[in-house]
Amino acid sequence: MKDNIVEIRHISKTFPGAKVLDDINFEIKRGEVHALLGENGAGKSTLLNILHGIYDDYEGEIVLDGKSVHFKNPNDAIINGKISKVHQETNAIKDLTVGQNVTLGYEPVKGLFVDYKKLNKRVNEILDELKCGFRSETRVMDLTAGEMQMMAITKALFHNSIVISLDEPTASLTTRETETLFKVIEKLKSQGITVIYVSHRLEEVFRICDRATILRDGHYITTLDIADTTKEELIKNMVGREVSSVASRLKPSCVKDEVVLKVENFNSHGKFKDINFELHKGEILGFSGLVGSGRTEVMRAIFGADKKDSGTLYLHGKQINIKNSNDALKNGIGLLPEDRKTQGFMTLSTNIDNVAVSSLEKYMKGFFVDNGKKLDNCNHFIKELDVHPPRADYLTKNMSGGNQQKIIIARWLSTNADIIIFDEPTKGVDVAAKAEIYRLMEEMVAEGKSLIVVSSELPEVMGISDRIIVMCEGCQKAELKREEFEEKTILTYAIGGDKNE
Amino acid sequence: MSSLKEFINKKQRELVVVVAIVLLTIVFTALYPAYFSWNTFTQILQQATINGIIAIGMTFAIISGGIDLSVGSVFAIIIVAVGTFTAGGLNPIIAAVIGAALGGVIGSINGFLITKMNLQPFIATLGTMSVFRGVAYVITGGWPVLNIPDSFRDMFNHKIVQGVPNSVILMLILAVIMGVILNKTRFGNYLYSVGGNEEAAKLSGVNVDRTKIMGYVICGVCAAFAGMVMLASLGTGEPAAGQGYELDAIAAAAIGGTRMAGGKGTILGTVLGAILLSALKIGMILLNVDTFYQYIATGVIIVLAAYFEFIQDKVTKMMAKNK
Repeated sequence: MKDNIVEIRHISKTFPGAKVLDDINFEIKRGEVHALLGENGAGKSTLLNILHGIYDDYEGEIVLDGKSVHFKNPNDAIINGKISKVHQETNAIKDLTVGQNVTLGYEPVKGLFVDYKKLNKRVNEILDELKCGFRSETRVMDLTAGEMQMMAITKALFHNSIVISLDEPTASLTTRETETLFKVIEKLKSQGITVIYVSHRLEEVFRICDRATILRDGHYITTLDIADTTKEELIKNMVGREVSSVASRLKPSCVKDEVVLKVENFNSHGKFKDINFELHKGEILGFSGLVGSGRTEVMRAIFGADKKDSGTLYLHGKQINIKNSNDALKNGIGLLPEDRKTQGFMTLSTNIDNVAVSSLEKYMKGFFVDNGKKLDNCNHFIKELDVHPPRADYLTKNMSGGNQQKIIIARWLSTNADIIIFDEPTKGVDVAAKAEIYRLMEEMVAEGKSLIVVSSELPEVMGISDRIIVMCEGCQKAELKREEFEEKTILTYAIGGDKNE
Repeated sequence: MSSLKEFINKKQRELVVVVAIVLLTIVFTALYPAYFSWNTFTQILQQATINGIIAIGMTFAIISGGIDLSVGSVFAIIIVAVGTFTAGGLNPIIAAVIGAALGGVIGSINGFLITKMNLQPFIATLGTMSVFRGVAYVITGGWPVLNIPDSFRDMFNHKIVQGVPNSVILMLILAVIMGVILNKTRFGNYLYSVGGNEEAAKLSGVNVDRTKIMGYVICGVCAAFAGMVMLASLGTGEPAAGQGYELDAIAAAAIGGTRMAGGKGTILGTVLGAILLSALKIGMILLNVDTFYQYIATGVIIVLAAYFEFIQDKVTKMMAKNK
């Protein structure tokens, strides 16, 4: 048995107009948890896609378990290469059961028919091994995001995979689910399975990875032993310069006494109840809590995207009635949604249109929208927010996560919104862009805007907020001032406990 | 030079349809030299008018992410309603204005069902297709409306330009107006956004419901204009008219490059699509090809157009790669 399970040799890949991978060389050892790190756009996903047969035209050679391989498609990689990828957003057929999804295309048969007894028995064996709480017979639509991920791992094991890649596995998981995932990864490791781990969360890399390979702008930078390195060193290699990874405020707080938004007795059956809070001018108000605690739902109700059962909203002391998102826009309230891909931008539109959509009245010439004015506005913000690539005519969907987020920020800066709600502002955003987004937030409050930041990342919400409201199961659990911020306190409230417990 | 390249890039699909029309003309002229004449050209436009006008409206519904299957029935209601008004002596211009407005009102019913009642556009308009057809029959008791006055008919049939009836000019004017609405107004911008990603448009503060309803109103207005063209050209108002016209309109939009899932499409493309279908039909009539084969040819063109989109994508990607 060779020591190296995967050898990447001289891999290069060119997309129209850009070389995204340039002569990458490194090895992954058998049975290790190997982190693949880099900013968005560094080439991690492209490399994984080559490894897993999603792209089949590339230069260079992949050596898997001593043999040179060139997979034609993902299925080829899973079946013949024994190498599986667990996707960022797990694609599953929601109407089928777990077992059906896991065995899809490779169902055990008895004559002409699927042998469901055998199918469920085999899948349940794997689920038991992974200590999963759901069964092969469970419908996928009843699973949580974390359970879906377990299902994807189950599928990899069903196909006897020897290498499993996890791409941002914890992005939509709760803290508890993340812990479960880590236990499973350790279990895979103990069985000699190699895990390739892609994540922006460096804390996790230090928890579970053995070594880390860093890519930057399509180039191989280095491979480091996690035990002998520091977070700062990793970041320096990823970014190529020193950046603070931690969300922090560099400028003094700008909170004024003036209350700009007051939420009174917001209720929505099954989603949240008795929500009351005030937002001050120049404040960054953090909303913490576990995934599914109702934070997003409260924000959507304030913004008019969803209906609420009851509740009153006061803007600058005056009661307002927001029936739909258009009313919110007119009242100067903006929202940056949690899931950029499906909620953030128009897939078929360029940056010009994605920036302009909320502020078209600014670009009118008589009755008509003037495309030149739209373009000027977009270019202005591309420069202001340092968007890369600085191209107004690019389709937003082809930009990296951080730059997509900047485009959506530009959309709201183009309006006269002075209350902006950020829902998971840095989800899937790389370290350097994160820091830039925090700076932008600070600039906004300095200009007198007020922000609400919903975040599942504790360091983020603690670093950036003036005040934090913790939610648990649809209820407002606690309100913390800056001097009371402490991970343990927030977590205790978030899981429903009280401070004195 | 670069602006020409940009133009070609932007209007790729439309150019492809133009090329297809030119090729078709060459083939038909080779087979039947008299095909290449002013007369045939005006016939093609005339034949394209009704479908073209309906398809312009259909393009709005499809870009919004929906579809309107009821256009053929709206068309019939307008025919019998405006037929009854004019036969009853109403001023033809007033009748036409009322007809267009009525089309908009009927379209807004579709819009209401789709937005406020959250019905799937396909199902909602499948239902109203039947309801509106029934209404058309009820209005006349099943009989055609006769004695449409010449004053009304002349409005559409008179030829200001030699050989070209006003109805063709109406189609072109509507195409320009609707093209401007789609490209130059806020509503048009919103329509593309809503069709491109409804949730994202909503979370950008776009009034999604109002935008969609407007789309169906325009679709209804266009169907109404098409109905009046038909009424003027036949001189009788038949409540059974326009059956299956929704499919021709969808075909014209599809050939013109309108994305069936919404968010993409142009009026120019749709009108060219209608003209291509019409050129094919006229050519085959001149060549005495059996109607049965006309159906087959039309179907093949639609499928080819869809396939071409796929090839076009590949070619664009390859060209970008070689650059």
